[in-house]
Amino acid sequence: MTDSAVLHAEEQGSLEAVIKGEVLRMYQEVAEHPEGEFHFHHGRLAAELFGYEREWLDRAPPGAVASFAGVGNPHLRSRLQPGETVLDLGSGAGLDSIIAAWQVGPTGRVMGLDLNPTMCRKAEAHAAASGVRMACHEGRMEDIPLPDASVDVVISNGVINLSFRKRRVIHELFRVLKPGGRLSITDIVSAKQLSQSIVNDPKLWAS
Amino acid sequence: MFGLLEEAGFKRVRSTVVPGFTFRKQSTRDAAEAYGVKAVLFTAQKPAT
Repeated sequence: MTDSAVLHAEEQGSLEAVIKGEVLRMYQEVAEHPEGEFHFHHGRLAAELFGYEREWLDRAPPGAVASFAGVGNPHLRSRLQPGETVLDLGSGAGLDSIIAAWQVGPTGRVMGLDLNPTMCRKAEAHAAASGVRMACHEGRMEDIPLPDASVDVVISNGVINLSFRKRRVIHELFRVLKPGGRLSITDIVSAKQLSQSIVNDPKLWAS
Repeated sequence: MFGLLEEAGFKRVRSTVVPGFTFRKQSTRDAAEAYGVKAVLFTAQKPAT
């Protein structure tokens, strides 16, 4: 690697660390102060907008609903079946994991993955309050701490766009899915290349 | 994202725009519109063999 390439890699790593910190801060803020104002719609209003069933939102713990910060509804196409193993990539306060757990039933299994250990514990508590179990793993979506071919379905909601290394994330999803496994993910995409000033702004990544 | 899913080996990749997705603040909405930012639902399957 040339000196300039090393410098670029170091700068990229530094920026990635700053952005990771800002993303953690933003989503913890949504979880702890859902009454606050953010760039994105969140909570019950957003979930209803994306077609989440009212019965789900009435039945789930209020804290999980209020902290919902997704960008769509991965359950519309997930076709979850009883007994399936589900990974909720970027599980946040746990609403999507809880809905998945209701669908796969007691013979199924739901695992969450989140960067933030506090959010993991919160999601597990919300799941327990809903009468279901989910095990949340603290970790990075670029290095999912699960074995190869261990998951039937991956769901995710507005998370992959937060990664610097989306190609790596997608390869990780392919790795952890069983043969024949499927994914249903909602995320933000851009039709045009974003300007460098936007790419380098941690606050915009977190919004 | 669609291309990345196909490149990784996923089959039956499908995408549909999420209706109703929007940012709260007008300034963010304007910037998002300028860059063609959308929320999309993707589905895909890992080959069985």
